[in-house]
Amino acid sequence: MLKLKNLTVKIGKKTILHNINLTFQKNKIYAIFGPNGSGKSTLAHAIAGNPLHALSPQSNIIFNNKSIKKLSPDKRAQQGIFLSWQAPLSLSGVNVFQLLQIALGSKKNPLTLKKEIEAYAKELNINTELLHRSLNEGASGGEKKKLELIQAAALNPKLIIFDEIDTGVDVDALKLISKFILKNKKGKTYILITHYNRILKYITPDKVLVIMNGKIVKQGGKTLADKIEKQGYDMFK
Amino acid sequence: MSKTTPKYVYTTKKGLNKRVVENISYQKKEPLWMKDFRLRSYEIFKQKPMPTWGADLSDIDFNDIYYYMKATEGPANTWDELPENIRETYEKIGIPQAEKDYLAGVSSQYDSETVYESLREDLEKQGVLFCDTDTALKKYPDILKQYLATLIPPADNKFAALNSACWSGGSFIYIPKGVKVEFPLQAYFHIQMQNMGQFERTLIIADEGSEASYVEGCFTKGTLITTNPDYKPIENIQKGDNVLTHTGTYKPVRHAQVRPYSGDLYTIEFYGDSTQALEVTKEHPILFAKRNRSQDRNKTYNVQWGKPSDLQQKDYLVMPINKEIESQDYKVFDTVRGRAGKGKLPSPTKVKIDGSFMRLIGYYLAEGSVELRGYVRFSFGAHEREYIHDVKQLLKKVFSLDKTYDALHSKNNGVSVTASKVELAQIFAQFGTSSDTKHIPQWAMTEDPEKQKELIKGLFRGDGNYYAKKHKSGFKQAFRINTTSEKLARQTRDILLRLGVVAFLNKQMRREQGRKDMFTIGIAGAHMKKFGEIVGIKVSDKINGHYRASMFGIDKNFAYVPIKNIKKKTVKNIPVYNFSVKKNETYLAAGVAVHNCSAPIYSSNSLHSAVVEIIVKRGARFRYTTIQNWSNNVYNLVTKRAIVEEEGFMDWIDCNLGSRKTMKYPGFILKGKGAKGEVLSVALAGKGQHQDAGAKAIHLAPYTSSRIISKSISKDGGRTSYRGLVYVLPGAKKSNVYVSCDALIMDEKSRSDTYPTMKVKEKDVSVQHEAQVERLSDEKLFYLTSRGIKKEEAEGMLVNGFIKPVIKEIPLEYAVEMNRLINLEMEGSVG
Repeated sequence: MLKLKNLTVKIGKKTILHNINLTFQKNKIYAIFGPNGSGKSTLAHAIAGNPLHALSPQSNIIFNNKSIKKLSPDKRAQQGIFLSWQAPLSLSGVNVFQLLQIALGSKKNPLTLKKEIEAYAKELNINTELLHRSLNEGASGGEKKKLELIQAAALNPKLIIFDEIDTGVDVDALKLISKFILKNKKGKTYILITHYNRILKYITPDKVLVIMNGKIVKQGGKTLADKIEKQGYDMFK
Repeated sequence: MSKTTPKYVYTTKKGLNKRVVENISYQKKEPLWMKDFRLRSYEIFKQKPMPTWGADLSDIDFNDIYYYMKATEGPANTWDELPENIRETYEKIGIPQAEKDYLAGVSSQYDSETVYESLREDLEKQGVLFCDTDTALKKYPDILKQYLATLIPPADNKFAALNSACWSGGSFIYIPKGVKVEFPLQAYFHIQMQNMGQFERTLIIADEGSEASYVEGCFTKGTLITTNPDYKPIENIQKGDNVLTHTGTYKPVRHAQVRPYSGDLYTIEFYGDSTQALEVTKEHPILFAKRNRSQDRNKTYNVQWGKPSDLQQKDYLVMPINKEIESQDYKVFDTVRGRAGKGKLPSPTKVKIDGSFMRLIGYYLAEGSVELRGYVRFSFGAHEREYIHDVKQLLKKVFSLDKTYDALHSKNNGVSVTASKVELAQIFAQFGTSSDTKHIPQWAMTEDPEKQKELIKGLFRGDGNYYAKKHKSGFKQAFRINTTSEKLARQTRDILLRLGVVAFLNKQMRREQGRKDMFTIGIAGAHMKKFGEIVGIKVSDKINGHYRASMFGIDKNFAYVPIKNIKKKTVKNIPVYNFSVKKNETYLAAGVAVHNCSAPIYSSNSLHSAVVEIIVKRGARFRYTTIQNWSNNVYNLVTKRAIVEEEGFMDWIDCNLGSRKTMKYPGFILKGKGAKGEVLSVALAGKGQHQDAGAKAIHLAPYTSSRIISKSISKDGGRTSYRGLVYVLPGAKKSNVYVSCDALIMDEKSRSDTYPTMKVKEKDVSVQHEAQVERLSDEKLFYLTSRGIKKEEAEGMLVNGFIKPVIKEIPLEYAVEMNRLINLEMEGSVG
């Protein structure tokens, strides 16, 4: 479903990711581990098409058998890629309902969409008042992550990258979030980016990848995550 | 549209001197005191230096300006002479041709006097005085003498002096004690602005306890809108729907709105469609053509936009002809085939789209029935037997179908032919499976008209008849097609328009007899010739010794249908609907062309220097809303001030988008105890623009309060400045001051500054001031685009989100207009 070929990414003059080759498959959950500054978020943003991330000429990103390297972020999203942000931005004067209505255009009837969003909010136990407020303004860390999930659910993408969905979230919220993620996983590819094991208590990944200094240093199963939890990243040095 | 030279052609020479000022007064036949006022002002103008603060005005050449032109004259003589960007923007916004011509100075259709005349009636009952200021000077000289220039004397600033010397046009409004005007005064300003010269002068007096508010024009529920692919009631129109516009092309809806309406509602019935009438509020512009001579049918049609009150019986409403042509040689239909035990498998069918298939569709729409699991059947009456052979040939040609089954119906002596093929059944089922749901698929609505002729032919052969009967008065002839499907009837009418035939639509109510309503498409008179050619029936040129004539006209763009009658009623609080359409801002309601709400104001003048004075007396409330979108070569230097007496309330809403340089600081003097004033302003500066805007609040009395909210946006190297003065004089105890000014800078090239001045000479007051400068971040844009939103749409969202605190206080109609303009600006910036 998603293939990264020789992915080398620069931000400004600094090369953050070096020649990454990975394949992600449908119906699978991937966990990407790495210490702070290892290039995890850069990987996520490069897939989503952040215009400030420059790809080397040899790099390629193949999504559903087509190169999306040259596509703008909105086109990538339209093809089914969704990035759940590590620190979702606040947008004054724009609420989640308006955002989704514009993103979906005529694909969904506004009333159906409204009901759908309200149902997700109930499921995730967030105050419906938040849905009508400017997006993420005055929202707690957990609420912001839940609002990201609502967007993911309404847009129904094929690939979802969760960039530290477990950061700044309390245990109860984490349980709800995990449950929500698992419930909607059918037919999708999930990439969970995290630097510790918390969310893996609730979600078992099919594959664990370790990234350090912009390179994939290790790939393995769930046990790899447990090992990192105990021994830290030093063993990859 | 008359293209002749305007009647009033009077222009002073370029430049300003005493002679010119005297001449203006002479041309206007003014009283002596006004002439003296002008001359005195001119002397002050000469002495006053140019302001050295604010926007850079050094480019203004006072000698290169015409100071007086009759209202019908503009600097450009033809549409083509207007600056290119202004022309483009007009096109983008969809200013009607009539207005375009007027603005370009080639038409005198838009006469300000008549506009006022039609509006004044309603106001007169309440004792409201409302006219242009020139007329007011003749009719109410005493009031003018008492109030004019009391708030903004000529010596106030150089441009106030200039305006005082050569003012022309503007509005005069007097609202008597206790009168609450529920009328769209602002809308009147809109219309009138377009008639204004460069130096208009407005004077408004809201007497004790009076109030003024704003309403705008829209349609009532149930009005059928022509969309792709259906005819939809207006209340179901949504953003993104494609509606047919007056140019005969589809355009997407930007947004839809509904609001309560009280006031006059017009019901306009017209010939050509007895199934519906047009119901509109009194402000709504409608496309129409005047009847040239009341007893004769028009030979030529000059289309123009007008309000319902401009229309008379026998004038023509205009039906735009759908000009979309999307012809395809082949079409693949999604058909499926069942396999024993294996469920259904897709088995697409490719069909050649030609006259043969179209005629077959026509036959099906008239006489076909379908059984989804297996067959399509065409049934004909005994007298239509000849067509059976045609149907068989067509089935063979289009679908290579050799085998069909014939059957004879003993009951009516009819014949039917059955084709047994699952895919075929599935294809024809798409055109409706019962007689009242039959319809033409959207792709066929935009097919090549030559192919469409064949569809009409098939339909007519099945459902049509040729009515010819001798009456006492002579022969009567007509072609008719009957169907119980309303949609099919409307579609047939619309296709016939494409083929140059105007048909009429009738409805026969048969519900009470327990039957389905019957719709008739009729073709009579001169239109029979062309229709006869389509269906292959020869029609003579003459009937009863005369050439065939028709009440309906048609040319390559429009069909013209005469108005049967116009009824006016007063309604209270009913919901009315309207929507905005990309580019053209027009749509088809009940089949005829209408326009969205008033378009914004433009001018190609190079200097606009207006003066607006408002006197708000004890307990009165007045709100003055402006959305200005001047062309980018205009210096917009306007002085606006109000004086507010005890417990009065003045509210300025000021939105500035266009112009090269704007200097505008709406102000109020809070003179009476408990007086309130408010300024809500939005400014957007693009490439080469400087918006220097703000507010002025002067507190003279205790318990007064002022609230100033300013939002500015700069992009593409544009510059915005907030410049505000709040002055609280000693003794204005317990007063409240709230100032908030935010700026949004869209890119590195653009700039924003804030110059707030606070002079507070009284200790017992509450003063609050907030200011914020924000940059549009790439990150936020990425956030929105990563949700699948286009970049320009994301920019529009962020900008609209930014100005939302002001916009939400603006009446809905203006808010919608404002958002639309902002989105247009954003689109422009992306190219």
